[in-house]
Amino acid sequence: MLRNRRIWLALSLLVVILLLAACGGAQVEKVGEPTQAPTEAPTKAPEPTKAPAATEAPAEDQGPAKAPSGEPVKIGAVMPLSAPGSVTGGKAMQAAFEIAAEEINAAGGILGRPLELIMEDTEGLPERGAAVMEKLISQDQVVAVVGEYHSSVGLAEMEVAHDNHIPIVFAETWNDKITASRYPEVFRVAPLSSEVAQLDTDFIASLGVKKVVIMTENTDYGIPAAEKTTEKLKDRGIEAVTFSADPGTQDFSSIIERIKGESPELILVLLTGETSFNFEQQAAEAGIGPQDVAMICNQVAADSESFWKNVPDGNFCFYRQVGLPPVLWTDKTKAFAEKYTAKTGEATPPSYAMEAYDSLWVMVTAINNAGSTDPDAIIEALENISYEGALGTITFPVNSKNPPEKAGKEDKWWHQFPDFAAVFIQYQQKGQMSSDAPVVFPDKFKTADPILP
Amino acid sequence: MTHPSIFWYTLLWLILWGAIGALITPRVYARKDKFTHQTALLGSFIGAALGPIGLILLWIFTPQLTAKWLLGSGLIALFWLALAFAKAAPENLCVTSGSFVATQIANGLVIGSIYGLMALGLTLIFSILGIVSFAHGEFYMLGGMVTYYFTQVWFPDLSPLLGVAAAALFTFLLGALFELLFLRPMITGQIERPGEYAILVTFGLAFFLQYTTLSLVGASPKKVPRFFDYPKITVPSGTGEIIKITPGNLTFFDTISISSPRFTALIIALILLFALLYFLYKTWTGKALRAVSQDRQAAAVTGINPKRMNTLAFALGGMLAGISGASLVQVFSWVPWVGIPASSRSFVIIVLGGMGSLPGAFIGGLILGVVEALGAGCVPDPHRAAAYLPAYGMIILVLVLLLKPTGLFGREL
Repeated sequence: MLRNRRIWLALSLLVVILLLAACGGAQVEKVGEPTQAPTEAPTKAPEPTKAPAATEAPAEDQGPAKAPSGEPVKIGAVMPLSAPGSVTGGKAMQAAFEIAAEEINAAGGILGRPLELIMEDTEGLPERGAAVMEKLISQDQVVAVVGEYHSSVGLAEMEVAHDNHIPIVFAETWNDKITASRYPEVFRVAPLSSEVAQLDTDFIASLGVKKVVIMTENTDYGIPAAEKTTEKLKDRGIEAVTFSADPGTQDFSSIIERIKGESPELILVLLTGETSFNFEQQAAEAGIGPQDVAMICNQVAADSESFWKNVPDGNFCFYRQVGLPPVLWTDKTKAFAEKYTAKTGEATPPSYAMEAYDSLWVMVTAINNAGSTDPDAIIEALENISYEGALGTITFPVNSKNPPEKAGKEDKWWHQFPDFAAVFIQYQQKGQMSSDAPVVFPDKFKTADPILP
Repeated sequence: MTHPSIFWYTLLWLILWGAIGALITPRVYARKDKFTHQTALLGSFIGAALGPIGLILLWIFTPQLTAKWLLGSGLIALFWLALAFAKAAPENLCVTSGSFVATQIANGLVIGSIYGLMALGLTLIFSILGIVSFAHGEFYMLGGMVTYYFTQVWFPDLSPLLGVAAAALFTFLLGALFELLFLRPMITGQIERPGEYAILVTFGLAFFLQYTTLSLVGASPKKVPRFFDYPKITVPSGTGEIIKITPGNLTFFDTISISSPRFTALIIALILLFALLYFLYKTWTGKALRAVSQDRQAAAVTGINPKRMNTLAFALGGMLAGISGASLVQVFSWVPWVGIPASSRSFVIIVLGGMGSLPGAFIGGLILGVVEALGAGCVPDPHRAAAYLPAYGMIILVLVLLLKPTGLFGREL
């Protein structure tokens, strides 16, 4: 009997742990709950006191920060934190949000009140993204939402935001359709898929290749991106053949044999996360790696430590980096990079971390400018914003006062951050750090010539 | 495809006569008072292979069913399909290049043998405990993770084989512990609905292991460098070489190329397979395991402790998945959710091979590996070829379930 009881005890204990683990999906983190909140005298000072804010340096140009007090202002943040979503991307965004939230609360919060950031896992599933948005809006009553990594999920979330009239700033969803919807609530700091395809095309054409194989992801990001690139390459007289695979595919051997049969002069990898690493290393083992054929690897290659561990034969990989190249980093980018490295141990923050960081700061700045949490006021403030962030100066020039027709732009530029920078970088030595790897395109940022195998 | 209509009409023809054969043959056999067992399967194969003429001959002579009939007619049907494909898509690499097809099949067999090893664990658990472990993919994931931490982080100079052994030991103990704590109450009658309980508790274990690992090791992909760098050898040297080995790749007969980490994984899988066969067929404990899988009560009468066999089977099953993972962590990038597609593939394999059948699991793995490789290699539209990867297994699965619901090697009910 005693033994049985002990087993049951262990069992119930494990069930509790299991439940906790299962609930881990929905992470409610009160990041940076104001550490220097006036807990000593909350009744004395209902209005934020002028008391100097602790020892932490206040953010620049915010003036002496007041400690936020009162009822917290809730903002939702969405990102994939479990498979089939890109957990690598989601975790980086999570770290960036935490950094931004801490800074915001240290700099006086929102409207003098503390920021409560509610982070939710979308698992990379559109239906889950929509459900999480409903939960954030109806249950947590957030005033705004920021984040998201996957376009397919973003497309679902944007509908919920529109139906409930809650402003949302998308961080890393590239699909043109998101801003082309022209929903008043939808803003984006990520680049446009079609514009990135243009940059890819310009780069590929500059290398003088005639036959390209595109290895893409079978998703709302990968398929349109491959189609746009193919179309644009065709205009330049470059032939492109597209292969696609589901995210999470491990074994690429049969596809690699087919790619060999196409004898490409360049391979463009639009797979993401560890799936891209799997493809790149297996291609190298089969003799069509970056050392044999010019290869544009996925941007996750920017995480050099992880890249060299997973793709040891990946020297001469090109990769596209969205966001300012290190030579053009602003003070804000440098400060963020330093905090990001301290928090995660990664040498440089990936673009989606910078975008996540900026998306939250943009939203908070807009609410502060609006002076209220009313959705219409926030949207108006976002349309008028000019915010110095890690990505550069963020503005949304095509908006309700300057609609696409008037601006002479396509619908996709609606509420879109137009000045995103993107460059091509190449690893030119085995084991090189991404901060040391030279920029090879476009010419205005170039620090070295591309090396072709 | 240049002439897609040739292929699709042939396919339609095969399906039409296959269906007619499957529907009518059992009735003909029944009317003639002959044994109707599996005649639907035979009828569909003969119909697909030889069309109306074959079917009429079959219905006239109604021969006694043997495996030769099935295999022969199945191969003929496959031949028609392949011929139609070759006529329909004469420019396809699968038609023009023999070495391409050979490489695809070889790669399919290599990866299939590891799928098979993993499925072997799942089918072993099913045959003894009568449950499907939904946490099987997580054992696979842990096998790779343990190998990575042993050989890369904790003991950087450790031989990779010891890393694999550590992974085997870890997954074995974890399996045993889990069985003792959570599955034992099932057979001691403490659980009211053991079937549902088994599903829920193994699902729970899967989530627990996946998210615990994620929080412990993080999301960034891990990988072990290839276990062994093969020496550069060419036999015989000069042209027309039979085997050419470089550190990263092996080429046989100048046509079939297999990357060396995959080859290492294959060797590990084969050694393990033979060790397992020896254990199951030559040792007392192995025979006891098989006895329990055949008849629990009868085994208990002869002095075998079925409870202990349960623990052993679950631990062994987990270990097989763990070793599959350990041998593949040098081939693929490893993340905590790597087990999800692997476990669903194992489910396909064991249903294909026959639930609880050990040879079925291994051969099912090989079949799935080859079908996936040929599917991804031959489907004409490059855009779809690899995106359909999970579908190829499903097509085979649906066919098997339609024609032979017990699976290829399943025990007859």
